[in-house]
Amino acid sequence: MHSRLRSVMIALGTAIVVNVLWLTAGSMSGQTPAPAYRAPRAPDGHPDLNGIWQAFTTANWDILSHPAEPGLRSDIMGAYGSQPGGQGIVEGDELPYRPEALAQKKKNFDNRMNPKVTNDPRRFDFGDPEIQCYRPGVPRATYMPHPFQIFQNADQIQIVYEFKGALRTVYMNPHREAPEESWMGWANGRWEGETLVIENTDFNDHTWFDRAGNYHSDELKVVERYTPIDATHLQYEATIDDPKIFTRQWKMSFPLYRRIEPNAQLIEFNCVPFVEELMYGPLGLYKRPK
Amino acid sequence: MRYRVLVPCGVGALVTALALWVPVAVLAQAQSGKAAPTPNALSGGSASTALVWDPEAPPPTGWTPPRTAWGDPDLQGYYLNTSYTPLERPAALKDKALYTKEEAIAAFKKAVAQDAEVDPTTIHYDWKEYGMDAWQSPIRPNRRTSLIVDPPDGRIPPLTAEARKRQADAAAYEKAKGADVTTPGLYTRCITGNGGPPRIQGGVTAESQIFQAPGYVVLSIESNYDVRIIPLDGRPHLQPNMKSWLGDARGHFEGNTLVVETTNFRPDRNWRGSGAGMHLVERFTLADAKTLKYEFTVTDPTTWTKPWSAEAPIARIAPPLYEFACHESNYGLINWAKGTQIREAEGSAVGGNARAGVFQEEEEK
Repeated sequence: MHSRLRSVMIALGTAIVVNVLWLTAGSMSGQTPAPAYRAPRAPDGHPDLNGIWQAFTTANWDILSHPAEPGLRSDIMGAYGSQPGGQGIVEGDELPYRPEALAQKKKNFDNRMNPKVTNDPRRFDFGDPEIQCYRPGVPRATYMPHPFQIFQNADQIQIVYEFKGALRTVYMNPHREAPEESWMGWANGRWEGETLVIENTDFNDHTWFDRAGNYHSDELKVVERYTPIDATHLQYEATIDDPKIFTRQWKMSFPLYRRIEPNAQLIEFNCVPFVEELMYGPLGLYKRPK
Repeated sequence: MRYRVLVPCGVGALVTALALWVPVAVLAQAQSGKAAPTPNALSGGSASTALVWDPEAPPPTGWTPPRTAWGDPDLQGYYLNTSYTPLERPAALKDKALYTKEEAIAAFKKAVAQDAEVDPTTIHYDWKEYGMDAWQSPIRPNRRTSLIVDPPDGRIPPLTAEARKRQADAAAYEKAKGADVTTPGLYTRCITGNGGPPRIQGGVTAESQIFQAPGYVVLSIESNYDVRIIPLDGRPHLQPNMKSWLGDARGHFEGNTLVVETTNFRPDRNWRGSGAGMHLVERFTLADAKTLKYEFTVTDPTTWTKPWSAEAPIARIAPPLYEFACHESNYGLINWAKGTQIREAEGSAVGGNARAGVFQEEEEK
């Protein structure tokens, strides 16, 4: 009798506990977008983000929602190079431009394929930096249609992007101060539980967010958050702060996918020789090989 | 040399380079303050012979090479890839592969003094006045009379007939084409830094970093901010058609030595005349707490009559590296190509060859 009663009591108790847990989990999932996931650990005990990652968005065309469009040179390219449609990665799907900055964005778009190379810094006022094989900046490097690789140890994290082989060093311990501004900015990082948080500062004003001409100034600050959500995905979030261009901070987010091919590796994409004709041809300084 | 540093650099890169040298000098001073004076450029080589780089010396006693948290030999740090030792042995030294320590110091002093000289009658940039030369570096005297250790004469082996023909054809093609932005080498075009791997020691933008994560070594050089990713998991090389400027690198550890084998170089890379057969093996060993021993062997039967090898001590420097956005600010390339085209049109090439300056540059790398 006694033992039977005990079994019933245990079963009842278990059911209650399971129910409570289940209900709690149900109500929590409405508040936190990422389910609680504990990533495998690196040797220093923090989540192990080592690996090759890639975004699968069309945000490099436009970080806001955009329909499919013909190619930029459909006269010679046909369906090659045409713009796929895609939903935006920006929270609220709008950018809080200051009025004069919005005018510049439109100008950027109109002239995105018209670089004008000078032997002084005016060259940075013409054309999308990407079309000239310039370093893509942050966060754009993350959603270029190329993979990137994270190398992580306790003191530094290095992120190498296939596009142009662009390199960022994230100083974890110790943090370091930027000597001056640069294309990929200056990065100091920290861990907040499961999330790698990177504070990026000291950017120059030459990079864009996308091919649509969305841009920033040298007051840009980017806070990135990389959170593992399962063994093969990271949730990426970037908060953009640039009071010269925008009336408030704004945020973008999208998942990153792990490249799981056993032989996955970054393949050199050194685009400098690809752009010599485009950049120097109009100056009469490029002769096409016969 | 003089001309080369500013060709691909914009103002930003110049400022960066200036900023870089400050911590280097500070580190070297701090070191000399707390330890025995180092016979390097800072001291004018005036100290004892104790720290002359001696390839025949045994590893230091009481020093254990460090390991990473995951158990690999730990080579991480920042290194200055500069030397006062010539790549090829001066002809006058014939078979003499090693100096005595006293001779090494004397040769070092002479090289340092020559490096500091500026010919006031030629056009030059004043970077030496800002410490942007090897003068303030932690480079030490070297008992070796040349970086090349094999062949035993310390010289690059003769070119094959195939390579000589290739070079003649390329020169003829260039002459017929006339100067444009593709005429200079990969460094001036900002395609690779210092001509790409292996690392021949140069005078400027010679800073580099070794970074490690489980399963990988990442080699970065400040010149052109080139990055080489080296997997250590024994995977096969890429398919042979997948050529690249920096090649396809695979690494493994032998004891405390990182061995890196690199293949799949583009045949048109033309590293000191190299062609389709270029194959590179490099060995990185921490020789003591502040010196990395770097060895490499290049083999290319389409270019050289036999393989050749070099060895060099590389000095540790203070962190960090800075972004060298070379192509983004390659103002000099435009100026060079324009100027050369004008000189070609005028038929009044300096010294009979409008492009002499650039070819000399490329050779010095």
